[in-house]
Amino acid sequence: MSAKQFGDYIIHVDKIGKTFSNGVVALKDFSTNIRRREVVVLIGPSGSGKSTFLRCLNGLEEIDSGSITIDGIPLDDNRKHRREIRKEVGMVFQHFNLFPHLTVLSNITLAQMLVRKRSKTEAENEAMDLLRKVNISDKAKSYPSQLSGGQQQRVAIARALAMKPKVMMFDEATSALDPEMIGEVLEVMKNLAVEGMTMVVVTHEMGFAREVSDWVIFMENGMKVEEGTADHFFNNPQQDRTKLFLSQIL
Amino acid sequence: MIRSIFQFCKRHHLVDILAFLALMISGALILVRGAEDQGYYWQWFRVPKYIYQFDDGRFIAGPILEGLKITLNITWISLILTYVIGLVTALMRLSNSLLARAIARVYLEITRNTPLLVQIFFMYFVIAPILDIDRFAAGVLALSFFEGSYASEIYRSGIVAINKGQWEAAYTLGLSTYQSYRYIILPQAIRRILPPLTSQAVSLIKDSSLVSVIAVYEMTMYANEIASETFLVFEIFFTIAAIYLALAITLSRFVAYFEKRTQVAS
Repeated sequence: MSAKQFGDYIIHVDKIGKTFSNGVVALKDFSTNIRRREVVVLIGPSGSGKSTFLRCLNGLEEIDSGSITIDGIPLDDNRKHRREIRKEVGMVFQHFNLFPHLTVLSNITLAQMLVRKRSKTEAENEAMDLLRKVNISDKAKSYPSQLSGGQQQRVAIARALAMKPKVMMFDEATSALDPEMIGEVLEVMKNLAVEGMTMVVVTHEMGFAREVSDWVIFMENGMKVEEGTADHFFNNPQQDRTKLFLSQIL
Repeated sequence: MIRSIFQFCKRHHLVDILAFLALMISGALILVRGAEDQGYYWQWFRVPKYIYQFDDGRFIAGPILEGLKITLNITWISLILTYVIGLVTALMRLSNSLLARAIARVYLEITRNTPLLVQIFFMYFVIAPILDIDRFAAGVLALSFFEGSYASEIYRSGIVAINKGQWEAAYTLGLSTYQSYRYIILPQAIRRILPPLTSQAVSLIKDSSLVSVIAVYEMTMYANEIASETFLVFEIFFTIAAIYLALAITLSRFVAYFEKRTQVAS
């Protein structure tokens, strides 16, 4: 992994803060920069702000302070900017969020046609390519409810990839899956990483973090506790809090 | 022996059927006796010609069927308007615009907290002259706005019942709000609210009788007229009640059938 060539910085996050309306502070002066082709894994106890950070990156949550820039586009009140960023940042959710009234194929083609303005044939060809890539092309005509959790999540990944995003975000993509299905989804994610996709991953899968990540950020209470390469993080953590967390989770 | 008879009866719901029949017959008897006590003489034989006649073997619709035609016309036009008004109002209530929400709110509060009869009069005597529309249009509009307010609540409940994750998925894929509603949210919501939405049509059929107060010649208006001319009050009103009942039950059955089908599909 370490031999990977990174590009320039694609994501700039500068001192962002986020407080929910119920007074819970989710992020406090959080800053980080992410390079092209880099795989950044966010770990930490629940409620530490990992998911909120992801959701702020594509504008699902509003930040109260600080700034976010993705591929040169600032995430501000400009609706055009926001739409551009949404197009460039793909997201995979914990609960898949497939569209239950559409077939697997339509799930993947819909946004391509509406947002990327591709023709139906173009979109379907792309969708079939991606379904083959995530090993599920035989389910193209099925509905999401007919699929297992692992299959649904792979479709959700294909759906996000179909938009040709520059960054992919995974919000606990394997947390809602049965243990025996986690592997097939992680496999797809690993392949993406190897292909050089820029990825921001929130996960509890330490094996994945250790093997695939280029940079690990450990968060607690909306702040960075420690960060570093996977090797540094897992083999030589500096902070006591990190050591405690790792001793509990590994 | 007695036990086996009892079991036979139970298996075939005989007791229930007998009880039901007894209730219906006693109800009918009370009705007939009540009318007779007032010195009312039933003259059912005079009713059919107000429904239909045969003139030289040619079928001629009587006033009641003429009225039924108008009732059905009022109903289907109002129904379409009701669904449109309901959807627009629901979207306004859910929108980010304070103005849209306020307008929707005021409309809902007024229509749902005043009698339909008053609204019909208001539409006919106040709005109709301004818009220069006839009484039929006034009646249709009054009904549509009234039923539309209830339909909007049905739409709204259906829309907010859709998982937030659907919005988020649509959003992250870059869909606009319009596209999200059009392709993701409404197709799912409408599937769920189809049964209550169709029940709304049943209310509409019944409420359409109220536009007779502004002399729209629909079924109830004709019935009123015939009754006052012929004094066949009970016969005529029972007849049109039966027709309303038949319409409503047909629709309800249709709804039930639809409900079953959508359940199987999902």
